Amino acid sequence: MKKKAIDFSVITRSKITWAVVAEILILLVCFIIRPDFFSISIQPSTGVLYGSLIDILNRSAEITIIAMGMTLAIALGGTDLSVGALVAVSGAMALKLMRWDVLEYSTPGDYTVYPFWMAILLPLLTCMLMGLFNGILISKGGMQPFIATLILMVSGRGIAQILTNGKQFTTMYSPFRVIGQGHLGPIPMPIIIMTVVCIAMAVFVRKTAFGTFVESVGVNKSASRLSGISSDTVIIIVYTLTGLLAGIAGLIYSSRIMSNDSNNAGINYEMDAILAVVIGGTAMTGGKFSLIGTIIGSIIIRTIVTFVYYFGIVAEATMAFKALIIAVVIILQSEPVREYFARRSEKRALQG
Amino acid sequence: MPENIILEMKEIEIKFPGVKALDKVDFTLRKGEVHSLLGENGAGKSTLIKCLTGVNRKDGGKILLNGQEINPTSPQQAVDLGISTVFQEINLCPNLTVAENIFIGRQPMKRGGIDWKTINKRANELMERFHLDIDVTRPLSFYSTAVQQMVSIARAVDIQAKILILDEPTSSLDDNEVRLLFEVMRQLKAEGMGIIFITHFLDQVYEISDRMTILRNGHLIGSYEIGQLNKVQLVTEMIGKDIDVIFNLKRADVKEDAAYMLEAEHIGVPGKVKDISVTLKEGELLGFAGLLGSGRTETAEMLFGAEKTAQGKIRKKGSDISLKTPHEAIMNRIAFCPEDRKTDGIIGDLSIRENIMLAVQARRGFMHPMSRAEQDKLADYYIKALGIATPDAEKKIGELSGGNQQKVILARWMATEPDVLILDEPTRGIDVGAKAEIQRLMLERCRDGVSVIFISSELDEIIRCSNRIVVMRDRQKVAEVDGATCTQQDILNIIAEGSAAENGKEASV
Repeated sequence: MKKKAIDFSVITRSKITWAVVAEILILLVCFIIRPDFFSISIQPSTGVLYGSLIDILNRSAEITIIAMGMTLAIALGGTDLSVGALVAVSGAMALKLMRWDVLEYSTPGDYTVYPFWMAILLPLLTCMLMGLFNGILISKGGMQPFIATLILMVSGRGIAQILTNGKQFTTMYSPFRVIGQGHLGPIPMPIIIMTVVCIAMAVFVRKTAFGTFVESVGVNKSASRLSGISSDTVIIIVYTLTGLLAGIAGLIYSSRIMSNDSNNAGINYEMDAILAVVIGGTAMTGGKFSLIGTIIGSIIIRTIVTFVYYFGIVAEATMAFKALIIAVVIILQSEPVREYFARRSEKRALQG
Repeated sequence: MPENIILEMKEIEIKFPGVKALDKVDFTLRKGEVHSLLGENGAGKSTLIKCLTGVNRKDGGKILLNGQEINPTSPQQAVDLGISTVFQEINLCPNLTVAENIFIGRQPMKRGGIDWKTINKRANELMERFHLDIDVTRPLSFYSTAVQQMVSIARAVDIQAKILILDEPTSSLDDNEVRLLFEVMRQLKAEGMGIIFITHFLDQVYEISDRMTILRNGHLIGSYEIGQLNKVQLVTEMIGKDIDVIFNLKRADVKEDAAYMLEAEHIGVPGKVKDISVTLKEGELLGFAGLLGSGRTETAEMLFGAEKTAQGKIRKKGSDISLKTPHEAIMNRIAFCPEDRKTDGIIGDLSIRENIMLAVQARRGFMHPMSRAEQDKLADYYIKALGIATPDAEKKIGELSGGNQQKVILARWMATEPDVLILDEPTRGIDVGAKAEIQRLMLERCRDGVSVIFISSELDEIIRCSNRIVVMRDRQKVAEVDGATCTQQDILNIIAEGSAAENGKEASV
């Protein structure tokens, strides 16, 4: 009996619990209003899974991928504001490489000017370098992460514009379409990419000691240094990684629209990613982080958006509605509220 | 004389998950007395104070202030009731001025604005009362830790407190500053304030207190008039063991033919330390004596790569080594327990296990992780070997008492199996029992062939443990004396006198 009580308090004290509860509640409301919300079917023409839940996962891919890196940046006690802009850079670069000379290839078609691997790898490399730039400013330059990444947040979209001479390219190149609109068996490709990224990240941070080093530097940089951890290296790796992940998200995004859109691609992604991390239970002050929490956080955000679309809530109210739900989730997760519930359940366990 | 009693705590009980932090503890404080609260780390002193100041909620018992029951639920409420606390760590804003710090949150107002004139005037008066001649309009960070400590006491006193709690106020003060603090305490006592004094310095307890209350493992051992117990009895009550066993420490024997483990030649950093040469043999314990700021810490940091040496050479086991970063030092099997446990030692949010494995893992690099089983084994081994008081290895280090945190940091370094172990003030701010244990561990390492550098402000422990003692003054090494033959007075003389230092140096060479 006693053992059980202690276990229960661990559950009520955990931040992830509340994120899961929130997600279930939102889904429950969806179910009550529209029982077919949960229905998943296979589209006969393509053989792909189809339904609201699949859509939620599919559409959350970009934010989830970016939020994986953001989790580490926040665990270090920093943040990366540049990710949204990097999404635009990545897309612009990919489209530029596929449609380099618009005069010769004046109409979009099923072709690519430069080899496909270049159109994929060069944008990723560019985003990694931009992340590296952030990392160096923060570690070697001693800048506040907020300020350092603000530089690329502001200038990144400009760089994307310059890359494409301010033009918006479109393409119909089918291998590129696969990234955002294709599928592997019955599962949409973004979900596959997202899953691979999440697993790779989890393996990287938890099967090596990197996660512990990140947490250690995030909690106490000076003590970590004196314990022999090179905090500069840790910081640089993390920001390079967030850059790379933003690049991947950028490719998915531009493949969905088969175009680059430097003004709108990845807008507010940094905020959604930070939100996903926070909902997932990682504190903005740095330290212990949870990748699973972040994934749940990202799915919650997307669920709310889907919910809003699905039930035809007027567009003007969308933001307010999203804000309201997120506020409730975050308040539920706050220390005093969790303490309160933990206390209550303890008391109940003692009485019972 | 019950009318004299200002505070009465009756049968206070506090439970933390899994443990009873306080078990029916009684405590009374009279008007105009200094009452020392004594006990080892984790005995429950802080918990009792936190209960009184509304930080921790109590699970049982009563608190009576002037005969009326109170239930403070926040530190602010306690302050409003007239209970002020000065903590060991200074809780002020270093970027604000002295005057602002004293009046923050209760600034006198005038015509809708803050009345700076009055603030500065009253701050000046307060400082005068404390015999401190400082400019109250300067930022707090401009002044020494001691002055900052005084300012936080001034702030507490100015809140018209009836009860003043001083939690380890003297751990960062030198003798003169302690005397100054005691003067202020006596003055406050004469004004009828009840003062609760927590310290690890037993001499100070006897110097200033009227009564003392001893706690051990959350239990009340007893309250005594100051004359009732002598020091040995007091320590025995505190640790519950016979003191002789613990203090029966023997200096390590260094073999005649022991090889040099570490040799530093003319190392220095401009503006910090001048031209230091030290040698360290296998299995030797080298003490570093000197005042705070004499360059002891900087020298240790150079030997660990935490401070880049601008000149000179460092050899380990006869061959030159590069020490530009702590990581390089760890690769060379040099370990360093820093002076400031809180800012440079513990990683507060991580578990004991993670804190212990950190340096070993850092040496291996993150791509070669220790398995969870290895980590558990390492942590469990050191928790047992060092007697770290914790239910399990997954407890956050930040939740441990100071002495236990220090043991975890020590474990972190012992786990790296170092050849050279540098300990900077490892016994500061921890109780007698833990102190003796850390000294014992140090000497045990020496016997295993590890060379230890031991930095401390307490001369008696340096003399008790060291084979040789390096004395530092004004950022340079002024003498090296033999640990077995020298006395505290010798070292004090060297620190005080320049010429004596020269003699000492010649004598030892």
